[in-house]
Amino acid sequence: MKPPAAPAPSAPSAPFPDDALPAGAVVEGDRLEADCEDAYDYVVVGSGAGGAVAAHVLATSGASVAIVEEGPWVHTRDFGERVYDAFRVLFRDAGMQVIEGRSYIPILQGRCVGGSTVVNSAIAHRTPEDVLDDWAGMDLGGGLGGVVTAKTLEPHFDALERELSAHAVSDDALGDNDRRFLDEATMHGLLGRRTRRYEHGCRGSGRCFTGCPNAAKQGMSVTYVPWSLALGARIYTSCRVERVVIEGGRATGVLARAAGAPGRGERVIKLHARHGVVVAASAVQTPNLLRRSGLRARALGEHFQCHPGYGLGALFDDAVRASAAGAGRMGATQGAEITSLRRTDRVKFETLALQPELAAVRMPGVGHDWMRRFDRYASFAQWAMVLRAEAEGTVRSAWGGGDKVRWTPSPVDMDRAVKGVARLARMMFEAGAREVWPGLHGVPTAIRSVDEVSAIERMPREPRAFSFLSTHLFGGARMGTDPRASVVGTDFQTHEAARLYVVDSSVFPTNLGVNPQHSIMAMSRLAATRIVAGGRARNRAA
Amino acid sequence: MKLSGIESGWAMAALSAMFPGSPETGLEGIAAMDVSGYLDDVMRTRPFRAVLGLRVAVWLVALAPPFVLGRVATIVGLAHPERERLLDGLLAHRTYSVRMLVMLLKTFGALLYAGDDRVRARLRPARLRPLIALRLRGSPR
Repeated sequence: MKPPAAPAPSAPSAPFPDDALPAGAVVEGDRLEADCEDAYDYVVVGSGAGGAVAAHVLATSGASVAIVEEGPWVHTRDFGERVYDAFRVLFRDAGMQVIEGRSYIPILQGRCVGGSTVVNSAIAHRTPEDVLDDWAGMDLGGGLGGVVTAKTLEPHFDALERELSAHAVSDDALGDNDRRFLDEATMHGLLGRRTRRYEHGCRGSGRCFTGCPNAAKQGMSVTYVPWSLALGARIYTSCRVERVVIEGGRATGVLARAAGAPGRGERVIKLHARHGVVVAASAVQTPNLLRRSGLRARALGEHFQCHPGYGLGALFDDAVRASAAGAGRMGATQGAEITSLRRTDRVKFETLALQPELAAVRMPGVGHDWMRRFDRYASFAQWAMVLRAEAEGTVRSAWGGGDKVRWTPSPVDMDRAVKGVARLARMMFEAGAREVWPGLHGVPTAIRSVDEVSAIERMPREPRAFSFLSTHLFGGARMGTDPRASVVGTDFQTHEAARLYVVDSSVFPTNLGVNPQHSIMAMSRLAATRIVAGGRARNRAA
Repeated sequence: MKLSGIESGWAMAALSAMFPGSPETGLEGIAAMDVSGYLDDVMRTRPFRAVLGLRVAVWLVALAPPFVLGRVATIVGLAHPERERLLDGLLAHRTYSVRMLVMLLKTFGALLYAGDDRVRARLRPARLRPLIALRLRGSPR
């Protein structure tokens, strides 16, 4: 079935796609009066990029589908402007989740209907072919068996781009910061381009990280989740899946818990799955959920990778925050990028339009110096580096039931990070920055000329000197044909339990070097299509 | 797990030094906002580790003056410029955990200060003003 058309951006009074949902399609765990039990063909764990796409494919095939989401459904009309509030309601651990290693690295993950697609910039990069080639050649018991290739993914990328309106940032949403960045890329002979995103009528509010107030960003909570519900699926919100029920070597359902209606105590939700359970809980939560469900694969929780990101702030002489759409609009949250250094230097550069609170954290110093800088917020720009790090880490369960991620960048990663930041700082000065704020320990808090960039190049390659942040997470339940080296087979089923499928970035054998949402969605769509085909084949055989 | 009265006083002293407002533009400082209500909310709604970190950070900035400035006083007993110097020193401290804890305090302060409607209203691009010369102190290394 073709997804319903998105509302026209010129009609603000038109209902948002998450305004009017089918009666009975949403079961809110924090309002449950009693325990509940139900049966479906498929139960999908997670409503982010992986889960929502899989649920839609399965529902489109005519299967009955339940989606179970740990977080609440925060509707478009309820998205506020304040980062503090958004962190509390939209992000896992209120935005305070960290990777532990040589240094602490915050990781930001959505924990709401739509998952991280509610709080990211909806950037659409196809999986680079060299990455797919690497996967095919890895020692995973014969690579990925020719299942995940550019050719097999192509129709799914095409469909996603068509259904979610993927296109480059428009003139109206392009900020002045983005234009300077693109000019600078051209001067350096680098391939700079407008970011390609899933959006429909972006107005350049610069609020992608706290939920798009116009439903222009085509996140899962305004697309595949409501589209799935329109096809008969049901979603259980604010319900945490405790474990997948495995009986006779086969996944048969999930056991979840919810806070229940106020004063009524915790509620238990048992959902039976006739044909399978599809897990898409993310690279951090999926390995631990599989572990809680009794899986013991040696590779479970191993080979975790990420893209540590680092933002450089700078002050320009004039305004860089206005977009062509007019005063008061910041432009696209992420409007421009350079990807041509991904293979050679393993870095990607991009622009970031930070909301005032996040910019305030990034501005150096305290007191009156800080105030003078903050007062020039309109002239503040942030350019960021995303590193395709080589190091691997682990995902484990923490004491008390949480998640514990351990990862430290390798010396080679650190060398690339230092060189990347230095290059970015030089570009910012050449673009007209008055001062650049490296934010690196051991380097002046503000440097005022391109000559001073050498202080960055000379700095020790020490993770604790950086304040990395990561939103791109991979591995922990990686795919392969060898059960000793992987958790999930090339049919997206775990090696240990039949009809237990994993369709998020935890199955990726490595990181990508580009934003992963598009790859997650295409892999999930490929997986769900095969699950449907497998189910039909089983039915015929029966 | 609310901050005690004395802890709140230390936190207020640190945050008002971090975000003092701007006499040049008439922008109020964080002291004009409901800092104690905000901190109560943080302590009530944020994860245990963040709450613990914030509390340790408050004690750290409160008791740091003898070690950073050689002054026998808590942060409350310092004049405003000394508080700024103290906090600058802690943010650039050689010990990683000291830097991170003070950064955590600054982060929570920034979320309150820059999230305030009055502050945001002043930041809109429509209010762009010509850049005046920056009068910045030597940056700490």
